Amino acid sequence: MEFFNIFIKAAFIENLVLAYFLGMCSYLAVSKTVQTAFGLGLAVIFVLGITMPINWMINEYLLSENGLLGMDLTFLRFILFIAVIASMVQLVELVVEKFSPSLYNSLGIFLPLITVNCAILGGSLFMVSREYNFSESVAFGLGGGFGWFLAIIALAAIREKIRYSAVPPALRGLGMAFILTGLMGMAFMSLMGIDPQALGDLTH
Amino acid sequence: MALIDFFKKIEPDKKKSPFLHTLYDGFFTFAYTPDTVTSGKGVHIRDGMDLKRTMVFVVLAMQFCYLFGTFNIGHQHFVALGQHTGLLEGFHLKLVHGLIKLLPIFVVTHVVGLGIEFWYAARKGHAIEEGFLVSGALIPLIMPPDLPLWILAISVAFAVIVGKEAFGGTGMNILNIALLCRVFVFFAYPTEISGDQVWVSAVADGVANYGWWHTTVFNGFFESIGWSTFQPGSPVVDAFTGATPLGLAAAGGWEAVTDVYTTSQMWWGTIPGSIGESSKPLILVGVFILLSTGIASWRIMVSMFIGGAVMAMLLNIWGANPFMEVPWYYQFYMGSFLFAMAFMATDPVTAASTNRGKWVYGFFIGFVGMIIRVLNPAYPEGWMLAILFMNVFAPLIDHYVLQANISKRLKRA
Repeated sequence: MEFFNIFIKAAFIENLVLAYFLGMCSYLAVSKTVQTAFGLGLAVIFVLGITMPINWMINEYLLSENGLLGMDLTFLRFILFIAVIASMVQLVELVVEKFSPSLYNSLGIFLPLITVNCAILGGSLFMVSREYNFSESVAFGLGGGFGWFLAIIALAAIREKIRYSAVPPALRGLGMAFILTGLMGMAFMSLMGIDPQALGDLTH
Repeated sequence: MALIDFFKKIEPDKKKSPFLHTLYDGFFTFAYTPDTVTSGKGVHIRDGMDLKRTMVFVVLAMQFCYLFGTFNIGHQHFVALGQHTGLLEGFHLKLVHGLIKLLPIFVVTHVVGLGIEFWYAARKGHAIEEGFLVSGALIPLIMPPDLPLWILAISVAFAVIVGKEAFGGTGMNILNIALLCRVFVFFAYPTEISGDQVWVSAVADGVANYGWWHTTVFNGFFESIGWSTFQPGSPVVDAFTGATPLGLAAAGGWEAVTDVYTTSQMWWGTIPGSIGESSKPLILVGVFILLSTGIASWRIMVSMFIGGAVMAMLLNIWGANPFMEVPWYYQFYMGSFLFAMAFMATDPVTAASTNRGKWVYGFFIGFVGMIIRVLNPAYPEGWMLAILFMNVFAPLIDHYVLQANISKRLKRA
């Protein structure tokens, strides 16, 4: 139940893009068509879902004072987290290039750039500051990734639709994407304020 | 024929004064359908003539809500004061009070909204896009009667400029304009549009406060013909809270609601609320007009009802607090479900446009809206946000319905 709560919360209620505005660069740049957005979204789910538990273990067993080394090494947190994320992204890149060269080409530079996607590092840092345990960090990783995925394919579908609209020339492209993100953030505020944990505590 | 000759005579020059020509064109097409057709050389795709006729039907379908809303503003005001509590007692006072509250809202909405629309149309050299006729008719119905007019003006301007003109005008917007306007007020000025104090007009400090129109103009007139008058400074009755049924239900479940309001009151709509959303039978008349003319989609209405009902039944089964235990069919008596279903969710521009997509779209509006209403302590009612939420996903739903169709056809081939 706890797993489910954190998943829902990360995906819908505290969406990484639309509530925290994390991971904006690839969100805005790769959302031109639904197909590529779908691919990038899956990659982000994968990377978030894998790196979160690995980073949790590194933080817990290597960096903390009662870990294996017995020293407080938390100042190394950023660099180690990024190293884990970068290596996972390399893995994703190899897989995508092997199995879907067309997606690989359309994602271009933005696939390796998942490494510096702030949603992913941000996710790991949220995990630390919220003191999640192992299964919670898995839930948070998958939920956060799913929320990001949902946001980017929704934006991509809208941008495909407004390609046929008479958008003022100055706003075409990124300008419209920014306005859309703001409006989507407003719509996503609908679920903000629901606390699944408090609801879970309601018993008969 | 005299009228058309008159129109021909006063037509301003399009090059010299584009704004006047836009204005002229708007009124001309109200009166006549132009006989000019697209020539072989040019394209004028953005022709709103038929759109205008469609939209007039939607506006017509709302008129009953306007009539009742006008009366209900006054009725709620006098019920709070404990004067003229019978439905037809003091009818002239209720009507006048309602008009004094509603007309400024209506006028400001249209002056701001249509003004921006005219300005953009003249700038682009297009004919006026009549999209704002419907939005402008909807916006006053979903506002509380005491909303400060400057807030209304800002929110209408925001909705029209950012929500519509940035996307290229009528028919291009992604989010429903009227709801975007309301959600702007809701997040930017939450105290003006939520809580128990805003739904009954002119009783803010516990006494009736009237303006110049009430005390001077109409009191003078009613005195002179010997009818009852407005009594400035009369206090509200002790039992008055101003809470809406949803506010009561969130606090104490269905019993708390029926302590204050009867089900027939909720059905006929003599309860506090936004101006036009309270009377269910009159909204159903609007639904009938919209469905029989084929303007609104019955698929969205039906699936939205199913979605809301399914979620309400699930909440009944869960039943962890009094609000969840409200019998699912009574959920539809409270709040603005019917109004949102009839006029907001069925907006053909922002809804999903494929038939199968409409089922999904409507179902999730009902489903998410009921979740927001019952499970989200931050908001009293869910339909506004649920519809905006699904507006965001409507293009995605359409995309996948189309893809599914394409791959099915490919397989068949």
